[in-house]
Formats: sequence, structure tokens, C-alpha cells
Amino acid sequence: MTSTAQELHPAPVLAPGRTILELRGLEKRYPGTHALKPVNLAFKSGEIHAIVGENGAGKSTLIKLLTGVMPRTSGEVIWEGQPAALATPHEAMALGINAVHQEVVLCRHLTVAANMFLGEENSRFGILQQRAMVKDAQKIIDDLGFDLPAHVTLGDLTIGQQQLIAAARATVRGTKFLIFDEPTAYLTRKEADQLFTLIRRLKGEGVTIIYISHRMEEVFELADRVSVLRDGTLVGTRNIAETNDAELVKMMINRSIEQVYHKEHFTPGAPILEARNLSGKGFEDVSMTVRAGEIVGLYGLIGAGRSEFVTTLYGRHRKSAGQILWEGKEVQINSEHDAIKLGMALAPESRRDQGLCLNLSVGLNLNLPIYKRISNNLLISSAQEKTQADRQIADLRIKTPTRGALASSLSGGNQQKIVIGKWLAHGAKLFIFDEPTVGVDVGTKAEIYRLFGALLSKGAGIILISSYLPEVYELADTLHVFRRGKLVATHGFRAASHEDILTQALAEKQEKLGGQI
Amino acid sequence: MSTEAIAVEKPKRNYNVLFGLTLLALLVLLWIVLSVATPSFASGNNLANLLRQGSMIAIMAVGQTFVIITGGIDLSVGAVVGFATVVVAMMINAGFPIWLAILVTLLVGVAIGMFHGFGIVKMGLPPFIITLATLTSLRGIGLLMTNGNSININSDTFTAFSRNSFIGIPNLFWMVILVGIPAYVFLHHSRWGRYLFSVGSNAEASRLSGVNVQRTIYMAYTLSGLCAAFVGVLLAARIGIGNPTQAEGWELQAIASSVIGGTSLFGAVGSVHGPLLGAFILATINNGANLLNVNSFWQRIITGALIIIIVYFDGLRRRGK
Repeated sequence: MTSTAQELHPAPVLAPGRTILELRGLEKRYPGTHALKPVNLAFKSGEIHAIVGENGAGKSTLIKLLTGVMPRTSGEVIWEGQPAALATPHEAMALGINAVHQEVVLCRHLTVAANMFLGEENSRFGILQQRAMVKDAQKIIDDLGFDLPAHVTLGDLTIGQQQLIAAARATVRGTKFLIFDEPTAYLTRKEADQLFTLIRRLKGEGVTIIYISHRMEEVFELADRVSVLRDGTLVGTRNIAETNDAELVKMMINRSIEQVYHKEHFTPGAPILEARNLSGKGFEDVSMTVRAGEIVGLYGLIGAGRSEFVTTLYGRHRKSAGQILWEGKEVQINSEHDAIKLGMALAPESRRDQGLCLNLSVGLNLNLPIYKRISNNLLISSAQEKTQADRQIADLRIKTPTRGALASSLSGGNQQKIVIGKWLAHGAKLFIFDEPTVGVDVGTKAEIYRLFGALLSKGAGIILISSYLPEVYELADTLHVFRRGKLVATHGFRAASHEDILTQALAEKQEKLGGQI
Repeated sequence: MSTEAIAVEKPKRNYNVLFGLTLLALLVLLWIVLSVATPSFASGNNLANLLRQGSMIAIMAVGQTFVIITGGIDLSVGAVVGFATVVVAMMINAGFPIWLAILVTLLVGVAIGMFHGFGIVKMGLPPFIITLATLTSLRGIGLLMTNGNSININSDTFTAFSRNSFIGIPNLFWMVILVGIPAYVFLHHSRWGRYLFSVGSNAEASRLSGVNVQRTIYMAYTLSGLCAAFVGVLLAARIGIGNPTQAEGWELQAIASSVIGGTSLFGAVGSVHGPLLGAFILATINNGANLLNVNSFWQRIITGALIIIIVYFDGLRRRGK
């Protein structure tokens, strides 16, 4: 480590194993909701402490209290033996508490270096020392083992790479307590490995890590201890060596893991959609058939061409070669409108960017695809608008005070239910789900999987895209593996081993498969 | 964002109604204060005058609001008004029947709006830029057509319309109702209205849900152009001339009325009654200031302060304290 890097990573004062932060009866109430019931918990320096729980269990509330984003209702926070108010984000940061969020909150238009030093720029007589900052930033990045340039614009990097920069940024600020909120949701496996290396290294330097994730295997790979929240209550804390997957899931949702992947088998019917040697931007020569009553899974790394393939089917992009057949007849799909008219429905990858009108009501979001049907030539039938929205809210058990509430006020899992639910009344025959359970808790996952079964039983076909192998593995009747824009392998239901599928997706020998799946 | 409690939020419609009532209360309060402060305010003549003044900005503000709801802006409307007075004046003086002159003028407004849609959708220009460009060009085209002169309209039937009243209410105000009711039905009870909101909130999500985003944008600017051209016809009738430099700065008054009426410049928030009330609040302030002999420079300052105050309090409400 160079001297500059040492300055940037000041050694923590505390010896490992001492209590750095203690919560005594920490509690948060919103009008009408008891978001966090009194929590007693002590975090030790140099530990990785995972927090798991369903959406709405109180994890975000806890983070917001610890980072000073929101004031607590009652209780005490003891920081290094002294009571801390944690009234503002500034105060939390001054103490050494930082957070890396699931969605990157940095300036996309500035360079990586400028982002790393945002708010702490190196300047001489008011003039920015740009070259020196790029050099320092590069040193930090190299030092962490991220293969990324410091002089490029942040927005030019992938979301995963931006996430790594956000993490690197948090480490250079004298951080003693670092919270990761679902950091791997958008990362490739390689990027996730780099992040884990960084996390372990911070732990070695005595930093306390709070790691929030829905992915159990990551919790077991990384954490020393794990705490489970359910309905705002701390259900328990376990040493990672003394617990297992099944116990944690049971603590989280009060039900067993077998009930999550609920797979119903139907006899496949006639083909709904057939792609013949289809090529387009990001994928080449892909052929596949989706029949009524079956789930076709597309597995591969992010960027392998799966999303591009389905968005081309959906008319978002033009195909460059090949044919698309719908119920046996060749069709031209030139726009999303054409696809929807045929009977396709797409629940896109990113809820916030592609799925929802966040500052509009739940009801409007649910009805958006069917307004044509619930209005005559001129006017919308307000009675139908109400009943349709209320029916979806009831059927999908969307937790919302009324259909008039804004979509942004709902939790992630409930927002995802809207993204899916808006297609149910539409009566589509082919449903495309692109990463339907990213950032969604186990309970909501189970509900979404059950919904798949209901759709299949009505004769629909499903294309399921997932980067999470167990999901496609346990649910898909036919599993296609994508790699670099090509369809490289096809398997039946549970017909190949996890290892084989991974090897096909990565096309390189995997030395370590621990926690890979 | 993995978890959060469901914040209890009031339905949007109730909020809209509440905000509308607040604006209405403000308007009534202004009227009461002015009636007490100056005896000439409550006279029938003055009230009719006030309604005429407010009506034209109100109609422009409705069209403007459609555009702002989609997340755009239409800076050209003042220039469209001026240009429309020229078109309608020239046609009437050339001997065309009045109905035809009006129809053609309205179609010119539609064409200008379509052009804005084309620039935004097909050429990828920001709304601010394309409408700024037409703002200055239209004034220029109008000056070329008139050689910089005003055209006196030689039809009394045409100009009499703006001075007359129907059951005691000025015809110009009836025009607000003529535009306002269909606009309300369109925005709140038709699917195209819903699409304006959804495009303003998230164009990509709307497209993936089967909404024709391009057509929605065309529609918003076309309606704004149409409203402005209609106001041009009314203005020509009121002042009896066609002049391309008329209605200077009216676009800003229309935007101000819309914003005072609760429209969010970020898109996806707005109503029809809001901008109408906003326009008449502005007109009342100007009218009252005139009667009270307040320096007209002060009127501009008051208008600016009012925009800041109302939008600030509206923002406080929306953030839920």
C-alpha cells in the first residue's frame, strides 16, 4: 500500500470484537404504521452482520434511522459508548456511518474521480487539482482490485461498475460502519466477487459491515452473524455457523422453503410463439418455441442477450433477420403496440425506469394497458376503472391504502405486483417476465410464482428471464442458456445440474463454485 | 429500497379538489377585499372587463397545461396568438366568410402544434428549444406578411362579438366555458387524458404498456396550438386589428396561470380548473392594481411573488410536511 492509500484508509481506532454501536429499544412509528418495534441489538467492530427479512419487515426503516435520514420515535443509539442523536445524515457521516444503496446515488455526468471526491475535492487556491484527483482515485481503485478507469464519465460504466465505485467511495471517508443495502441486485457474478473481496478487506481493517440482502447464499458466504426482522420485530440473531437456510427462511416468513418454489406441471398445448433464427441488436440466430401452459426459462449473465431478445419480440427493437410466428402464422411486430395487440405482455426488468408511473396512482398504473377496453369511443367508464383496479389489488393482495395512493408510496414487492398485475386484466396469452423477483422478498416471490401457475392453468405461456439460477431451475419446463448473444444450450425441467448450466453460461472452467448459485 | 412502510396517502383526486377550493377561496377573497377597497371594482362594467381580460389567458393556460402535464413546455403560444390575429384579419379583409377565416386560423394553430410534435418526436429536439424557435420565427413571418403594419379589420359583425354579452355575461367568458368543459372531460374522463399523465410520469413505462407515446405528444402540442389560435381569433375580435407583435409575453402569463393552478413543471400533475382559476387570479390582481392606482411596475412584482408563494405552499403540501 502506498503512503497516499494509507492516508485514505485510516486505521480504525477500535480493536476488533468490541461493541461499536448499540441499539437500545430503537423504535419508529409512522402515522398508522408501527414500522420498527423496539429493537435491542449490538454491533461489533470488524464483523459482517447480515440483516434479512421480507419487504416491509423494517430493514429500510432501520437503515434510515442509522444513517440519520429519519428521526427515531424513541429509544437510544449508543456509538462507541456515547449516546448519539443521529438527527441528520451529516452527523451520521461525521461519526463514520455510511451506506451504499441498491440504486446508485451519484452524479452520472461527472467523472469517476470527481464522484469519488465529491464534497472533498482537492483544490489549491480554489482551483481544482483535477489531474491529482484522477491519479489518487485511480490508485484507490487499483488498490481495491477493480479494473476500472478513473477518468471516464460515471454514466458510461455499467450499473454494476457504478455500484463498485459507490462502494469504493464509501471506503475513503474514514468509514467505521458501512451499510450495504442489496448491493448485488444488479451486479454480475464477477463484480459481486470484487465487491465481496472489498467487504472482507474492510472487515479485516476493523470496519463494521451491515449487509442487507434477499440472497441467502450471499449471507452464508459473507456474514459472521445474521439478524432476522419480521413485521418490524427483531425475531432473532444467529451466528452464521449455527444456522441454515431453512431456519432463516422460517424465521422470516413463518413457512418452509418448499412452499416458495411452487411448481405446477401442465401438459403443454399448441405453440403460441415461435422464433426462427431470430437475430437483432445484442443476439444472434436464436430459435425457440413457447407453448400454452409452459414456462420457458432464459438463463445467462446480465448482457448475454436475453433482455434484448425479448424486447425485440415485443417490438421495442427491430429484428435484423429471422421470423416470428404467432400461433403458427408469421407476423411482423414493428412496435410494442403490435405485440400487445397480438396478446403479449411484458413485465420489464427495471420497475422504476420501465415498469411504473411512480407519481401516479396505483389504479392508473393497473389500468394503463386496458383503458381502451374500459372506455367507449370518448369516455372512460369510471365504474369499470374502479372495479378493475380493485379486483387486481384484491387478487394480488397488493398492500395499498386505496387504489388512489401513489405507486411510489408502496414497497418494492408491492410495486412489482402492480407491474405484473396490470397485464392480468388485459388477457394476454404470452407473458414475458424479465427478472420478476429482483429486490423482492421470499413471501412476495412465492406469491408471484403461484401467479405463474394460475396463468398457465388458463392456457397462457410464460417466458421467464432470471439471473438467479434456482428460480429458473425450479420453475422452467424448458430452460435455454444464453451466452454472448447466442442460445448455447437447452434443458428440460431439472434435466441438468446447476454446475453444468453455470459452465454453459460462463463458458469457462469455474474454479470456485462455492455460493455461486 | 427493500422495505418501507406504506405511507398513508390521500387519494390524488381529493387533493386536487382541495387545492382547487383553496384557489377559489383566494379568488373570492381578492374580490371581496377589492370591492371594499374601491367602489368601482364591483361595477358591472368593470367585472365584465375583468372577465374579458382573464378569459384569453385562461384558454391559453388550458392548452399549456396539457403540454406541461406531459413534461414539456410550449413557449410559442404568445407568438401563435399574434400570428393568428394576422391570419384572421387578412382573410376577413380579403372577403372570405367569417366562419371560414376562423376555421383556417384554427387549422393554422393545429399545424403549428403538429410541427412542434414533429420537432420533438421525430427530430428529437427539446420542447423548450423547438417552441422557442417558433416563438421568434412566427413573429418574423407575421411581420413579413404585414410589412410591419397593423391590419384594421373591416367587419363589424366580427368585432362586435367580443363586446357583446349573453345573459349578462361577456361572450369572451362563455368561450372559456366552451373550451373548459370539453377540456375537463378530455383530461379527466377520457383515456387520452390518462395517457397525458402517464407519458409525463414515465414515457418508457407507458410505451411498454401499449400507450402510443408519440401520438400523445403530438396531441398535447396540437391542442396547445389550437387553444392559442382560438385566443388569437378572440383577440383580433376584441381589438379589431391583426398585428403580429400582439400578445407579447402572454406565454409566460399562461405558464404562470398553469403553475399557480397547481400544475407541476416536472409533469404528471395538473387539472383544468386550476389554470382557469390561476388566470382569473392574475387578471384580478392586475385589474385591482389598476383601480387602486398601483404603479403597473408593482403589478409585475406582485405576480412574481404570488407565483413563488403559491408554488411553495403547494410543494409543502405535496411533500406531506
